[in-house]
Amino acid sequence: MKLPLSWLKDYVDITEDIETLCKKMVDIGLEIEEVVYLGENVTNVKVCKIVEINRHPNADKLLCCKVDIGNEIIPIVTNDHNVKVGDKVPVALHGANLHNGLHITKGKMRGEESFGMFCGSEELGINADMYPNADTDGVLILRSSAVVGEDVRKEVGIDDYILDVSVTANRQDCNSVLGLAREVAVALGKTCKEPDVSYTETSVLTADLVDVKVKATDICKGYYMQGLTDVKIGKSPLWITSRLAKVGLRSINNLVDITNYVLFEIGQPMHAFDYNDISDKCIIVRRANDGERIIPLDGKEYELNCEDLVIADKKRAVGLAGIMGGANSGIKESTSCVLFESASFARLNVRRTSRRLGLKSDSSARFEKGIETYTNNLGLSRALHLAEQLGCVKVTCGRISIGKVAEAKKVAFKKDRIKSLLGIEIPEEKIVSILESLNIQTEIKKGKVACVVPPYRDDISRDCDIIEEIIRVYGYDNITGTLLEKSQVTCGGKTSDEKRVDDIKNLLTGMRYNECIFYSFGGKELFAKASVAPVDENNYIRLINPIGEDLSLMNRDLAPNMLQCVALNLSRNNTDLRLFEVGRVYLADKLPLSDLPYEQPRISMCAVDVAFEDFRADVLQVIRYFAKNNVKLVRSDSSVLHPGISADIMIDNVFCGYFGKVHPQVVDNFEIKCNCMYAELYLDKLLEIKNRIVEMSNGDMRFRPFAKFPSVTRDFAFVCSEDIAAQDILDEFLCLPLVENAKLFDVYRSEQIGAGKKSLAISVTFQDQNKTLQDSDVEKQSGKALKNINAKYGATLR
Amino acid sequence: MANIQEIKSAFEKELSTCQTLAQLQDLKVKYMGKSGELTSLLKGIKDLPAEERPTFGAKVNELRNIFEEKLNYKSAAMKAAELQRRINEEKVDISLCEMQPWGALHPVTLAKNEICSLLISMGFEVLEGPEIETDYYNFQSLNIPYDHPARDMQDTFYLADGILLRTQTSAMQSRHMEVKKPPIKMVCPGKVYRSDSDASHSPVFHQIEGLVVDKNVTLCDLKGTLEYIASHLFGKDTKVRFRPSFFPFTEPSVEVDLTCCNCGGKGCSLCKGTGWIEVLGAGMVNPKVLENCGIDSSEYNGYAFGMGIDRIAMIKYGIPDIRLIFENDQRFLKQFGK
Repeated sequence: MKLPLSWLKDYVDITEDIETLCKKMVDIGLEIEEVVYLGENVTNVKVCKIVEINRHPNADKLLCCKVDIGNEIIPIVTNDHNVKVGDKVPVALHGANLHNGLHITKGKMRGEESFGMFCGSEELGINADMYPNADTDGVLILRSSAVVGEDVRKEVGIDDYILDVSVTANRQDCNSVLGLAREVAVALGKTCKEPDVSYTETSVLTADLVDVKVKATDICKGYYMQGLTDVKIGKSPLWITSRLAKVGLRSINNLVDITNYVLFEIGQPMHAFDYNDISDKCIIVRRANDGERIIPLDGKEYELNCEDLVIADKKRAVGLAGIMGGANSGIKESTSCVLFESASFARLNVRRTSRRLGLKSDSSARFEKGIETYTNNLGLSRALHLAEQLGCVKVTCGRISIGKVAEAKKVAFKKDRIKSLLGIEIPEEKIVSILESLNIQTEIKKGKVACVVPPYRDDISRDCDIIEEIIRVYGYDNITGTLLEKSQVTCGGKTSDEKRVDDIKNLLTGMRYNECIFYSFGGKELFAKASVAPVDENNYIRLINPIGEDLSLMNRDLAPNMLQCVALNLSRNNTDLRLFEVGRVYLADKLPLSDLPYEQPRISMCAVDVAFEDFRADVLQVIRYFAKNNVKLVRSDSSVLHPGISADIMIDNVFCGYFGKVHPQVVDNFEIKCNCMYAELYLDKLLEIKNRIVEMSNGDMRFRPFAKFPSVTRDFAFVCSEDIAAQDILDEFLCLPLVENAKLFDVYRSEQIGAGKKSLAISVTFQDQNKTLQDSDVEKQSGKALKNINAKYGATLR
Repeated sequence: MANIQEIKSAFEKELSTCQTLAQLQDLKVKYMGKSGELTSLLKGIKDLPAEERPTFGAKVNELRNIFEEKLNYKSAAMKAAELQRRINEEKVDISLCEMQPWGALHPVTLAKNEICSLLISMGFEVLEGPEIETDYYNFQSLNIPYDHPARDMQDTFYLADGILLRTQTSAMQSRHMEVKKPPIKMVCPGKVYRSDSDASHSPVFHQIEGLVVDKNVTLCDLKGTLEYIASHLFGKDTKVRFRPSFFPFTEPSVEVDLTCCNCGGKGCSLCKGTGWIEVLGAGMVNPKVLENCGIDSSEYNGYAFGMGIDRIAMIKYGIPDIRLIFENDQRFLKQFGK
């Protein structure tokens, strides 16, 4: 909300400087986004009177003037010939700065001294709405009343501040000069004047002019209308146009300007209909018919539907309620009779129509914030007052009023409530004086507070609202910190799952992986890059209103973001990449969504230029946190990974993720030129397994005595076909009761062994808890394994 | 007797030529072994007259002691020399001091952990909620009905009718209050989403929601809690300032400013010369929100606050641009590691 200080001063007597004013406004909750001094860029420009004009001796196009600047006569050379002796004009003196960026110094022009420069309107940053004749070229001729020697900013009205005030969503009443003036008065401890709403009515009855019917009472809570006869359309006076200019509005004509003036001053959007364009003396507020068309004042045609609200006569729509009047009934030079409309249209309805049609106005913006019926009457009266004041109309008798008049609300509560909510004691008389300053009539009796709230404060409905009013005026600086001294002690902390995630993050950083955070959505193009299988958009949860197509689908995998990040890092020559993310993917049972989808937590890990074996060790280090046993790696058919160098992780036969080398095609898609390893782990499954294991052991950790008897280690070398999985052979040993461990320690290939074959060297440790192992025990155990290995995998001892 | 003297000088001569421990051992055997010189000398004792025997015996034993002592001395010296030689040989260049960096937690995680730990120490439990939320929990239960102007404050991403990406972690307030009865102390960190994106806004960012519901909770408690957090995050001299504001789910509502940690309140570019930086919104829980969750608002009240973790991290670590947070350039990430 743009608030000119000069306008504000109509209602509050402000003597404070601008900094103090702003601070006091901020303190009671009016955030000031920006303070602009209109004359900031115009310095050292004074009103002067031309006392003499001579031809320049050396230049035909120049004039040599002598001007009176109050305390001296100085020479000015100008090339503008529109000046004459006796004119008062703005003169920029030595050192002056002008609105268009010019800096003025004295000097000689073609040999003649000039102490400055005459200014035009552009150099002062003003237009014709702000000063008479400011639309003419050349030097601006000032009014004869201008005071010679005075700073010109005062004369042309730019000695003024514009405060850009950010109004919170609950205070729609503050979206007006009057509303802000009420608050400023409270902040400064002064009184706020009421707007002059007096006017005289003629004998012409409004009811004879027009009949109003509101059919859509659900979205039109109030509708007020009064007529103007003997209308003389013309220019508005300067005091109206200059104020409108300061809030960014162009002057149109006197009546339209009045509606805009009231919009900003009172906060009530208004509309003026040309009475002669309304057929059958009838105004109907109704929902549009599906397919009905209207051409508003912007001249474009729009198609409406039954959700839109229109103002119509019996034949046609003459306005889009709250948004824009119809071109068929607008104010024009020939207008002689006018209907002023002041109404409350439902904010959501205005908003919806405005958005759908892409048609916005100052009026619709105001309605979208909410307009209460209280301001309907006030705004209309003020508009009638102004019109009469301009002497361009006569006001008809009586007002058409449809809708309930807003009533003052009553709120009562126990006085103790104030202290129990705020934690501090505020003196009773202070409470009363604060509330009274806000026009909230207050009585405190027998520990009870009884308030009557003014009708424009629709944000106040109960005790806590009143208490907020008290403290924001009393001052939040009076609140002193305490640490829940009177509350019960509670046990806090993270959930066990959260703690485990913290552990994993710490483990990964210990292994030199860096944590990443990504967006939760992406686009089809990105997802397709990260997969060798086709990507079907229909499997993804789609944003209805994404920022762009590339951010329109909720992630189903963590890989696309991670691989894109790797590509970005590599393009910036970052080396030794090790990255991880703990994130979520969003999996819907059914699309389109009818329920909340499952948000699966996952871990992704990525490392560049590491061997598969080393990356596998890293991944298994993470897996081991969750499960020590029953972990199995099987070939993966992931669409991200190289089919020959990738594995699925199965724990207790549950799929818990995959890892391996990124598929050569995918790497190409991202233009990653390095060897890239990637893992995606299903954190929910891993946590389930961990929780189950912990539950089974009752969370106990117990000491087990060391084995008393020595272990025996035997090495074996098997020759087998290349495609035999070493783990399968190890498993044949590991499943035996006396085998404590079995490890692969070498793989050997040679001509002697034969093409397509390999030799696996395995070391097996046997241990009996109850006795010293004999050779024969070991032979017996390993004999079983050897037999099975030979039978199942065709592997023979070397 | 002359023999003793000869043996002694012969021993000493030989001893002086010994270079190795093995030679010493040989010398020891030669003189003191079973058939060594001293042993043979002792064997000759029987040829001496009886009165000379004790003296002779004593002399030989004395000689033995001297030999032993000399041998031990030289052997110790040799061992020490040998050890020194080995030590000298094994010397390496120890100057290289390249440390492999640890991986790093993301700065947003660091800030989140720090804030959570502080609140945990006050008895808050940490909860995470769904990011895809219903309109009910994100808006309606928080006193933001469909036609409320406050909806305009947040640009919402919608996924389906009544289903959206949560715009605030406040969405967890009602979820929690529906299942847990007072006393409640909850903190909920997580991702939130709003459909604006420019230099200072990201469509995805992080918030932490704090909620306390109990008897006797006051605005002073809210300020005290935030002062506690602020002083630990930004230094013990950090001051907290409340400014009036509006959130539909708190009443009274405040914007919370901290004295600028960059300039200490004097005014700088970070705080735009004001000395204060706006970090969060807070207030006393609106009784309507309590009532929506079946909590008796005449008996209980509470406070709630919500802060942007990204913003806190940016201020705390001097990160100039929110885009760095989601870009994950490893040069950025590594700076937050050990």
